[in-house]
Amino acid sequence: MFDLFREIAQTLRHNKLRTALTGFAVAWGIFMLIILLGMSRGVFNSFSSFASAEQSRTLSIWGGWTGKAHHGYKEGRRIILENDDKPRIRHDNPHYVENVFATKEIDSAQVSTNRDYISNPVYGHYPEEIKRAKLNMLYGRFLNQRDLDETRKVIVIQRQNAKTLFGDETKAVGSRVQALGLSWLVIGVYDHDWESGSYVPFTTAMMLSGNDGKVSQLMVSLKNVENMDDGTEAEAGVRKSLSASHDFASDDTGAVHIWNRFNSYLSNMTALNILDIAVWIIGIFTLLSGIVGISNIMFVSVRERTHEIGIRRAIGAKPRSILIQIVTESVAITTIFGYIGIVLGTMVTALIAKITADADFLKDPTVNISIAIKVTVVLIIAGALAGLFPALKATKVKPVEALRDE
Amino acid sequence: MIIHLEDINKTYHGAVPLHVLKGINLNIDRGELVSIMGASGSGKSTLLNIIGILDNYDSGEYILDGTLIRNLSENRAAELRNRMIGFVFQSFNLINYKNAVENVALPLFYQGVPRRKRNAMAMEQLERMGLADRAHHLPGEMSGGQKQRVAIARALITNPSLILADEPTGALDSKTSQEVMEVFRQLNSDGMTIVIVTHDPGVGQQTNRIIRISDGIILPDNV
Repeated sequence: MFDLFREIAQTLRHNKLRTALTGFAVAWGIFMLIILLGMSRGVFNSFSSFASAEQSRTLSIWGGWTGKAHHGYKEGRRIILENDDKPRIRHDNPHYVENVFATKEIDSAQVSTNRDYISNPVYGHYPEEIKRAKLNMLYGRFLNQRDLDETRKVIVIQRQNAKTLFGDETKAVGSRVQALGLSWLVIGVYDHDWESGSYVPFTTAMMLSGNDGKVSQLMVSLKNVENMDDGTEAEAGVRKSLSASHDFASDDTGAVHIWNRFNSYLSNMTALNILDIAVWIIGIFTLLSGIVGISNIMFVSVRERTHEIGIRRAIGAKPRSILIQIVTESVAITTIFGYIGIVLGTMVTALIAKITADADFLKDPTVNISIAIKVTVVLIIAGALAGLFPALKATKVKPVEALRDE
Repeated sequence: MIIHLEDINKTYHGAVPLHVLKGINLNIDRGELVSIMGASGSGKSTLLNIIGILDNYDSGEYILDGTLIRNLSENRAAELRNRMIGFVFQSFNLINYKNAVENVALPLFYQGVPRRKRNAMAMEQLERMGLADRAHHLPGEMSGGQKQRVAIARALITNPSLILADEPTGALDSKTSQEVMEVFRQLNSDGMTIVIVTHDPGVGQQTNRIIRISDGIILPDNV
């Protein structure tokens, strides 16, 4: 085998320009494939950083306006969600609903210290929100059940707001702020890409609004949902519960707005998978053009070397030896230059990853080892195919005819 | 007897079929130095190609060193060529990007002989041909006579039963031709069977037997 590689190396060295041009076509094809796959992976990673399948098993619900007359009510009636909707939804949909949470949002509240003040939304929330919203706790902690049970006046604020209010974000936890006419103990500082509101216990927020039972939003966490049909069925069940309790038509989609995050996630995943397949197809076709180039050049090479093949056949080369040599030559060119393409592509994607480190639309657009292995397999197969047809042609030439060829 | 040809016929099936060998009967004994002579188109090269298992015949029987050569697969033919026959061509047929040692050693590559061993064997053959100092030169850096001696070394390296030479002096000047023929005579005196195709009477005269072929038929008085 080593002898064969030595033989091939000698042939490639003898045809430097042809080898270089062929190699460039392959390296370019692989380079483009790696870049495309890296970009696709970046988009995929970006989406995954926003949502995972587990975190997306949620329906977010807001009250709306009825679009249809129903049971004597005119259309255009405002539907306001209530805290009592939670047990009803859970009771009516035991198969799909795991839990229901509510939020009480105070659109714009002034939060202040002796040093400064900020004006931003204050959310009355449950402890589970930290997972759903993917809040990154920097200091202290998020809300817990005891905060809700004891209706504590505790608050979690965003990093930049902590800086504004205390000058130093590390000093916020344990200090107090004034908001909504009360003094609140800061128990945590979080960071998030775009969220900047403050979080207080849901029960405390409800108490501040006079325990009127009205909530801003309901969040239904789902279970037993595996596909779009499940998600759609779960959404329909929840809508039906709300239509019964708030007396609106169950097909009145404007009465409550339901964001089916699970189905959205599945749709996005489907789109991303299609993107991934499209990128592979485009990449493979780009590579294919390189492979066709190699095959052409190998045909020319075989044609040019007909006399040499004749000499080799005359002195004892079996057709199989010629076939193996030409195919191995082709595989060697594709593999060596393909790897140059992989290395360059990986370097460029790493550079792009560095440049776009802070961008939301592209996260870590690099290729992993499994893609490198797949590309390698594609390379070897492609190289073998590119060499196979010229090699078969070479073996079909009779030695006596090949010797006549000058 | 190393070569036995009996009623060999060969026709090229082109637009107009060309019957180039018409019932060739020929025996060559081991250790003979034979020349096959004839005009251009007489069929002498076709006969050499058939003897060298480079081409097939249509009918008849060809036995080479006790082996019936008929309807062989390409692999079997290649194996027999490699082990039993050494070829020397008019245009040398050396691979131009391989040096003398590599060219001479090439038949052993196809026998799977390790590189070090085959290069050592190639060097021995080159020394025998007086070309040790040209061992690492490319064909383009050698004279015609040197190239032909490299080709003879390559033909000898597998220790074949037979050497077939197709116009071996055709591309050489008279002095070099004489040197090459001297090499053949020396090999023959060592017991090697050599068949030379030539149209040069001077070459023919230096062989032990001349077989004259005309229009695909061996002339009777030469059989």
